[in-house]
Amino acid sequence: MDAGRAHEIRTGLDRKPGLREQAALYYRISRLNLKAQTAYHGEFVLGLLFGLVWQGSMVLFAGVLLLRFPGLGGWKQGDVLLIASMRLVSHSLYVACFSNIAMLSMTVQEGRMDGFLLRPMPVYRQVLLSRFQVNSFGDLLAGAGIFVLALFRLDLGWTPLKAVYVVCGILGGTLVEAGVQTLLAIGALRFTGLFTWTSWVDQTISTFGNYPLNVLPSPAKDALTFVFPVAFIAYLPAAIVTGHTATTGLPLWLTAAAPLLGLGFFLLAKTIWYRSLRLYQSVGG
Amino acid sequence: MSEIALNPASGPGPFQLPSQLPSQPPSQLPSQAPSQPPSQPSPQFPPLRRSADTRQSRRAWRAARVTVLSEFYEWGRVASTLGMLVIRAALTYWLWQALYATTKSAAGLDSRQATTYALLGVFYVAFRAVNRWAARDNMVQHMLEGTIAYWFLRPVSPRRFYCIKACGDLGYGASWGAIAYIVCLTSGVIAPPVSVRAGLAALACMTLGLVTLYYLRLLIDLACFWTVVNNQLVIMYEIVQNVLAGALVPLWFFPAWFASFDRLLPFQGTLNVPLSLYIGRTPVNQFAGALEVQALWIAILAVLSTLVWRRASARVTVLGG
Repeated sequence: MDAGRAHEIRTGLDRKPGLREQAALYYRISRLNLKAQTAYHGEFVLGLLFGLVWQGSMVLFAGVLLLRFPGLGGWKQGDVLLIASMRLVSHSLYVACFSNIAMLSMTVQEGRMDGFLLRPMPVYRQVLLSRFQVNSFGDLLAGAGIFVLALFRLDLGWTPLKAVYVVCGILGGTLVEAGVQTLLAIGALRFTGLFTWTSWVDQTISTFGNYPLNVLPSPAKDALTFVFPVAFIAYLPAAIVTGHTATTGLPLWLTAAAPLLGLGFFLLAKTIWYRSLRLYQSVGG
Repeated sequence: MSEIALNPASGPGPFQLPSQLPSQPPSQLPSQAPSQPPSQPSPQFPPLRRSADTRQSRRAWRAARVTVLSEFYEWGRVASTLGMLVIRAALTYWLWQALYATTKSAAGLDSRQATTYALLGVFYVAFRAVNRWAARDNMVQHMLEGTIAYWFLRPVSPRRFYCIKACGDLGYGASWGAIAYIVCLTSGVIAPPVSVRAGLAALACMTLGLVTLYYLRLLIDLACFWTVVNNQLVIMYEIVQNVLAGALVPLWFFPAWFASFDRLLPFQGTLNVPLSLYIGRTPVNQFAGALEVQALWIAILAVLSTLVWRRASARVTVLGG
């Protein structure tokens, strides 16, 4: 290869791609990943259904309990349904955009991480684009359906500000979940078998993120607020929208800042993840 | 990815297994002399043959230890799994206590009964199966990595090997389940069975339920012989199973039509029936009917799994290389 060509390639690699180029690249990678998923037809169809069934079962859990019991921790049925629906939508966005980070232990075990470290693209982004999550369609469908149902059942006196806050709350919840799984994925850089933890986190959020956390004893509530921030996913934003801020036991500004804190938490988690990349130990062959 | 067909119908390949191998009794396989066809027994040494068979049979059961050994290979994983379970159990307990804070009874269950049911459901989900993913011992991993071929080369039939491994998993899970049960019972978190008869009936139902679960999971795993991967199928099965068995919410909270429909399926007998007997929601005199339904399902699933094993063994595809 002549020097001119080598220089051209190097310049091309050093140049930061524009937004349009990046979008085109994401589209191409996702399209190829989707094509790879369709290699196993049965799995593909079941993957489409999986999100719907999984989230459906969680809604069933919440729905059955809400129908049988008058309320929970001072929250009426409709208010609790808003928590569940906001969590579902934020979770479906998390599955579509970030859930591959939760599968990092498998990616490392398969030896695919080594390739990510060599390519001219941010490693975190490559991890997120490593698989196409077919089940995200079902998740989105279930989340959107329940959210619309909750909106019809609630009479909250909607204002533009409230609607914007709900959208911000959902996005913040997505980022909180992504941040938690990103922090957990640091362990996957070094140890195998972390998938048990990531699935536990997923299950715990899916099960207990649907309820007002003020029903729990104080130490458990504090742990789910400050250690494992489940409260910031849907409970705190829903408390602002429904006017249950007194039940949270937190200052109003902290409760209201939940979406912003979600963004901050995710950025912090991503920074720590990048710094922890030096811990990575290859296990594939 | 290279693909080597072991299906006799697909013609000779570089790695061809005899089509009769899986269907032969496992005990005959290791002792076959190369010069002696398997159809001709060796009348000279019958006592020796029997002794070798017995030894072989006993040795095969050592495979049951694999799960325990691979779990304890990483102590941290076991400890973290237990930590996760304790947190989940505590959250479940508090949630049910909160639900009953404003009412004494719902769906015929009081707070103590519902909490006991919910906690036993949590333990059931946690210990009924062992996650073999980290040990790369899932059926789908064997299929994708081609290690499924070894199942057909060992001196024990794949069907028996699967059963032995499942027994090992069950023993391991049941041990942890028993510890969790005793800890919760002695600390007063869960209630004891309403009577000794109810406790024994629940245990009998749970045992049959575990047999049912074994056959159901076997059929899901055998699907790999046709679909190669079954990740989504396994997850779907577990969700459906958890819902229909009552592991997520006691089935008493569901509408009556749902419970009636679920009664015809094999899932309810695996958890809801034994737990309902245990907490006294179902009288012990209805125990016989539940047993009959379970026995019928076990018979159906056993026949089905035998047929599927036979078909699966004839179409093994080994990937990798």
